[in-house]
Amino acid sequence: MIWLWILIPVVIIAIILIYYYNRFVVLGNRINNSLAQIDVQLKKRADLVPALVKVVKGYAKHEKQIMADVTKARAAMLKAGDIKGKVKAGDALQNALKSIFAIAENYPDLKANQNFLHLQQELSAIEDKVAYARQYYNDGVLYLENASQKFPGVIFFKLYGRQKKDYLKIPAASKEMPKIDL
Amino acid sequence: MAERISFHDQISRNKWKSVFLMIIVFIVLLALGYVIGLVMGPDYFMIIMVLAIIISIVYIITGYYKSDKIALASVNAKPASQTQYSQYHHSVEGLCLASGMPKPRLYVMENRQINAFASGRDPEHAVICVTTGALTKLNKQELEGVLGHELSHIANYDIRFMTLTAVLVGMVAIISQIFLRSLWWSSIAGGRRSRDNSQVIFLIIGIILAILAPIVVMLVQLAISRKREYSSDASAVKFIRSPTGLIGALKKIDAEHPPSTAEEKKKINKAVAPLFISDPFKKKVQNAFSTHPPIKRRIEILQKM
Repeated sequence: MIWLWILIPVVIIAIILIYYYNRFVVLGNRINNSLAQIDVQLKKRADLVPALVKVVKGYAKHEKQIMADVTKARAAMLKAGDIKGKVKAGDALQNALKSIFAIAENYPDLKANQNFLHLQQELSAIEDKVAYARQYYNDGVLYLENASQKFPGVIFFKLYGRQKKDYLKIPAASKEMPKIDL
Repeated sequence: MAERISFHDQISRNKWKSVFLMIIVFIVLLALGYVIGLVMGPDYFMIIMVLAIIISIVYIITGYYKSDKIALASVNAKPASQTQYSQYHHSVEGLCLASGMPKPRLYVMENRQINAFASGRDPEHAVICVTTGALTKLNKQELEGVLGHELSHIANYDIRFMTLTAVLVGMVAIISQIFLRSLWWSSIAGGRRSRDNSQVIFLIIGIILAILAPIVVMLVQLAISRKREYSSDASAVKFIRSPTGLIGALKKIDAEHPPSTAEEKKKINKAVAPLFISDPFKKKVQNAFSTHPPIKRRIEILQKM
């Protein structure tokens, strides 16, 4: 009988330890996964840029400055090391792309080009997906914060020496999207 | 975390309800078999009971694994191609990123009305189907609202319970109809056969059962379906972070005319009607048989968010 009285609390403690360990692992993995999703979308965006530049060049030769900006922003994004840097460079690229779509208003032929329309649609879909992936990332960070700051989670979080994650800030500029009619 | 817990509650509730439903349908089918066996007489009783058991097991298993295909087939839906419906695909992909769910398979059904439904047994085996009317009449934001609503049905496991109900209950209705019809014929053909009192009683029970079974299960189904729509509207707003799109879509649905021709009505089987985001038959009167909450009320709630 005595053994049973010792065994039961030990098992309960073990279960609690395992539960919190796994919980933090799951929440952490979810955040890492959403970062990977953001990365995928950013890469897709970068892949589409050369095709876009090529199409636009065919119609708007004089807009060299904007083309150079976009190409530069793309190169900077590909060079960026960690995901934070990539996200930042991705925002810069998005802004540069916006100016391309803005000048397209002055070139009716370009605006009517099927390739251009297709790329514009793809890029705008990617922009939405980046925003959604970020939202999911920030949701994940919020869940982790809640789990790690509440009692008794806070004890186990320190016990296991797990790291906090930062929110991804949404840049002020990207909050106001220019709506381009297709 | 309260929100997440309630989310999990809803999932486990839906899973339990699905199991209960399968058991109830099994019992109902056995009871039907029992009554049919008694009516047919002792010579056939054993054979009919064995058949009833086999048929109901096969039936429930196919219902569970193929419910999405049955639902899609009953509205004649076709897979949505990535190139032709790129906006549809992009919106779903974005919402899946926002909710951390796998991308469901996408289908389109030919119908001028704005409508959509989701089906399947879990998020890994889910489908979304929208009408061609929804794709042409809704703008990007509104379509996203509708798709967000359908994705929440998937995330909550509403699809499992709702599709199972539609498929299993629809079949009960068909079976009892066949039973009623065969009784009619046998009473004409078998007039000269002498019947004792107990057979007549069973005959009456059989008729009552055949009439009541689908009605009772249908009532249960309708009651749950209405609550689910509100909670899915709320989850859609959680994914999208704005109710504007869904409100716009519901307003457009509300402004639409009900299907006028019999041809249009016939395209959607009554059994799958509760799966849709709005009642495909658009009955104006709300009562115990309504499959959906009033759209105006849904818009009101969304506008307060």
